Amino acid sequence: MPPTTGPERRLHPSSFVFSMGRHLKALLVPGAAVIFTAGSSGRDWEVWLMGLLIPYAAAALARSLSFRYRFDGEEMVVRKGWIFRSERHIPYARIQNIDAVQNVFHRLLRVAEVRVETASGGEPEATMTVLPEDALEEMRRFVFAGRQAGAAPVAAGDDAAAAPAAPAAAADVLLRLSPREVLLYGFIESRGAIVMAGGAGLLWEFGVFDRIFASMNDGELVQRGLLRQIVRGTLGQGGVSPRIVLQTLAGFLVLLLVLRVLSMAWAFFRLHGFTLRRAGEDLRVDYGLLTRISGTIPLQRIQTLTVSDSPLHRLFGRVSVHVDTAGGDGGEAKPTKREPIAPLIASRDIDGLIGSLLPTVALTGDIRWERVHPRASRRAFIRTAVVATIGSLFLLFILRWWALAAVPILYAWAAIYALKYVANLGWSIVGDGIVFKSGWLWRRMTVARFAKIQVVTRAASPFDRRTGMASVKVDTAGAANAEHAVEIPFLPSETASTLTATLYAHAAQTAFRW
Amino acid sequence: MTSLDTEPSVADGLEHSLDPSWIELQRLVGWIVFAVLVPMLLIGVAITALVSQLPWWVNGLLLVAWAGVGIGLAWLAQRWPAIEFKYFRYRLDALGIDIRAGVVWRRLISVPRSRVQHIDVLQGPIERRFALATLSIYTAGTEFAKVDLPGLPYARAVKIRDHLLPGREHAADDGT
Repeated sequence: MPPTTGPERRLHPSSFVFSMGRHLKALLVPGAAVIFTAGSSGRDWEVWLMGLLIPYAAAALARSLSFRYRFDGEEMVVRKGWIFRSERHIPYARIQNIDAVQNVFHRLLRVAEVRVETASGGEPEATMTVLPEDALEEMRRFVFAGRQAGAAPVAAGDDAAAAPAAPAAAADVLLRLSPREVLLYGFIESRGAIVMAGGAGLLWEFGVFDRIFASMNDGELVQRGLLRQIVRGTLGQGGVSPRIVLQTLAGFLVLLLVLRVLSMAWAFFRLHGFTLRRAGEDLRVDYGLLTRISGTIPLQRIQTLTVSDSPLHRLFGRVSVHVDTAGGDGGEAKPTKREPIAPLIASRDIDGLIGSLLPTVALTGDIRWERVHPRASRRAFIRTAVVATIGSLFLLFILRWWALAAVPILYAWAAIYALKYVANLGWSIVGDGIVFKSGWLWRRMTVARFAKIQVVTRAASPFDRRTGMASVKVDTAGAANAEHAVEIPFLPSETASTLTATLYAHAAQTAFRW
Repeated sequence: MTSLDTEPSVADGLEHSLDPSWIELQRLVGWIVFAVLVPMLLIGVAITALVSQLPWWVNGLLLVAWAGVGIGLAWLAQRWPAIEFKYFRYRLDALGIDIRAGVVWRRLISVPRSRVQHIDVLQGPIERRFALATLSIYTAGTEFAKVDLPGLPYARAVKIRDHLLPGREHAADDGT
């Protein structure tokens, strides 16, 4: 086991303040609500708020004083707890990623909150609140060096990449986003809804909406059934007047515009100075204006890679690239999803980026796309026609005779969508992986390497069997929040069988290393 | 990656059915469900008839529906297991295991040996009566993190487990 035992290290002296701060944040909203509502009737809220703080402070102090970690030969050892003690051994080879978050206060003190994640999913294996910046660098060095040492004897057929790495080569920048690119990303992605929802949630908390609605309705308090009342009110008078329709449309457009602007502001704060570097066999991602986030992802941990674009992406000649690691980016553990590995990159640079992320996959240049079954469009049209039929019935119900104009449009859309969707389906075996693309307006292309394929399945529904088709799906680790997966529909039956057998054989011949 | 097996191997590359006694087992399970559900539904119908003042023919329809559900469940219990059995196949080779299942939606699940994380051999109380076992194969996948193969004689389930578990050639591997 561990040949060497390193000296024990502690957290930064200020840890206790930050640890407490995290819990205080949870108290902030209810606390503020108390201030606003109880403001007029005495000031006793202060007393119970202070009372709550004492156990928090004691727990935070005990937690941060008892926290120790050290770097042994092949593993990191974390000891914590005061009454209930725990000692956790995390082998370097199992570490999926090391993330660091620095908000403004962290940066003033030159410290960072560090999360060490393995493939266990859910919670990070170790969360360190907080470490000095140079201790973080030291951790990265140890984990990186330890993995190199551990990986050498495992000359498995898998990652040729892991073996002969340049010794911690000077990081070369793979992608750097200028402020203009960051704003463009915000515009294209439209994450404004996040800002909007956050703001709305806050306002709701303080009961502002109720007061606004009350003032709109002559003091009569309408509760959450407002929308229903509006709908009932307008429908009751025999259909909707064109003026209301126009007003709604205009309001909708303004809302869309506001969302885009908010999204650009969000991107500016969140992704400012986005840099993707490659240091040896690890990827380093740094971004953030006020809160700096810094992540480390070993290249070998990339399970699948997805390139996505939308009509707006194509207008500006850009694409986005996501990677999935098996690391525990479990829903609740983190407030937001991991950002893309390349939020925005010029379409012409994509080959180079994929080349350095997945060197063994021959994705550069022209891919010979294999098509799906020739009669797939008919199947796809049946599906979209069902949607169109439901939509038409709904419109007939709401708009009555007006809907007759909309129904042909809906069916035309169903036909075009089905044709385009099937025309854009494609798959191909490239180097040591499989690539699958789908989507008409919003297109996605996903690469899964054989070494990362866990299970291959072939499925045939009754409709599939009647038309001699089947679908093939590839299951990988950490695919729960994947953008897009290799799941190929409408394949000719025999093609599906041979593809399943091929993928199975390829996967079986490689050893899986997280 | 060659297999280490010495004795007549389970990895013969041939398609196998489950053990035929699995049909009996599934029938027993089906009839247990029937015995629990059908009387409960009848009580539900009776209470509805007594409490709500519905016209007699509505109550009659409810009774007919109850009988229909009963017949359906009885058919499922008696006939379905044999149909399901016909489409349930597995095949082992040096590379791993294929499982075919499904009557209406047919599925083939291929799990390479090198992706098996660990394996459980389970025997429930009813399975013990039939000397059968269920093999649960765990992978690092997401949707197919656990793949079940039921209806195996216990000894065979253990043999398959031993074949699928990573052997010595994987000892240095760092997959958990």
